[in-house]
Amino acid sequence: MTDFHPQVKQLLDGELTLADLPPELRAEGEEALRLLAAVDREPITLPAALGARVLAELRRRAEAPGFWRRLRLRPWTLVPAFAAGAVLALLLSTPAPTRAPAAVTVRFVLFAPEAQQVALAGTFNQWDPAATPLVRTGAPGVWTATLTLPAGQHQYAFVVDGARWVADPAAPAVDDGFGQRNSVLSL
Amino acid sequence: MKTLCVALLLAIAGAPLAAQQELAGRVPPEIAALVHQLATDAAARGLPIEPLMQKAIEGSAKGVPADRVATAVRVLLAQLDVAAAALRQAGSSRPDTDAIAAGAFALNAGLSAQQVTALASVSRAPYSTAVTLRVASTLAAMGVPAAETVELVTQTIASGGPATDVLGLPGRVMAGVSQGQGRGVTPAQAAAGLARAAAARANAPGQNKPKPAHP
Repeated sequence: MTDFHPQVKQLLDGELTLADLPPELRAEGEEALRLLAAVDREPITLPAALGARVLAELRRRAEAPGFWRRLRLRPWTLVPAFAAGAVLALLLSTPAPTRAPAAVTVRFVLFAPEAQQVALAGTFNQWDPAATPLVRTGAPGVWTATLTLPAGQHQYAFVVDGARWVADPAAPAVDDGFGQRNSVLSL
Repeated sequence: MKTLCVALLLAIAGAPLAAQQELAGRVPPEIAALVHQLATDAAARGLPIEPLMQKAIEGSAKGVPADRVATAVRVLLAQLDVAAAALRQAGSSRPDTDAIAAGAFALNAGLSAQQVTALASVSRAPYSTAVTLRVASTLAAMGVPAAETVELVTQTIASGGPATDVLGLPGRVMAGVSQGQGRGVTPAQAAAGLARAAAARANAPGQNKPKPAHP
């Protein structure tokens, strides 16, 4: 789905004109107007006999016993309907937050030339030091792992030789509450 | 009403049960019992229990003694309580568990409760409170001082751009530091530069400024 710049959305709402847009947004504005024009429809012409048919049908239903005859509308019976309508209108009018991608592929890299094995442990694998081993790739001493993680915030650390927990030198880190640091990854 | 009460009770009772199952075999029995008890209390107060379980599992995986794991879990629970209060202060009568967890993480990263309240107050659709707080805590973890972090996030939201503007802030601060490496640009300076640019955008004529959340 196309996500237009807020000023282009104002253009579509009629709050701005194309001339009001900064030059770098004009192409986007023109494209948006073109798309809008494409969904514009010809005016709908109703057949002349339709009105008479609708009235006849209404008369027929009014004479027939049924649900609508049994239902007596009193003002307070409309309150739940209005409340439901108001809730629906509120839900529809509240802009939905822009969604981040559901999952993001991330490459973790650690330079540890002396290590025999390196693994990754974090909130995404229940801190299991055996779950996500890194492999030696490229230059000597470079360990990597590529993971697809759900969007959100993750904390992690490298586990060198099964015992030494090391924060990622290339990522921000916070106190882990145990006297060490956890790396932070926001996706 | 009865259905709602039953659903609430089931949620409160079910969450700690899930916690117990998740902890089984991962943490010592005394830690599992403690987390179960704390999670029951936390769920009853509308707090998230997943961070408590994660902290217990993390401590045990790192070989931390049980008493220190217990302390860390209690400290985290206190942070969740403070975060929930800070979000309520911002006008959210029943803050969602994602936002509370993000608030607790922001506190751990160095933001104050007042700063969590301030960020929650400026955060509104399309900026989710949880995402705003996560971004702020990541900036703080990168070394951007808390006050500059709040200023940068606030100005970026005020400038009225898409939510990806906020999500991209840590990357932009990092890029600013990398580009200014020769001149010794710090994360704080990079953040201040971005905040000034965002403020200029927010004050530009014709800018789509978000309406204040609490007039």
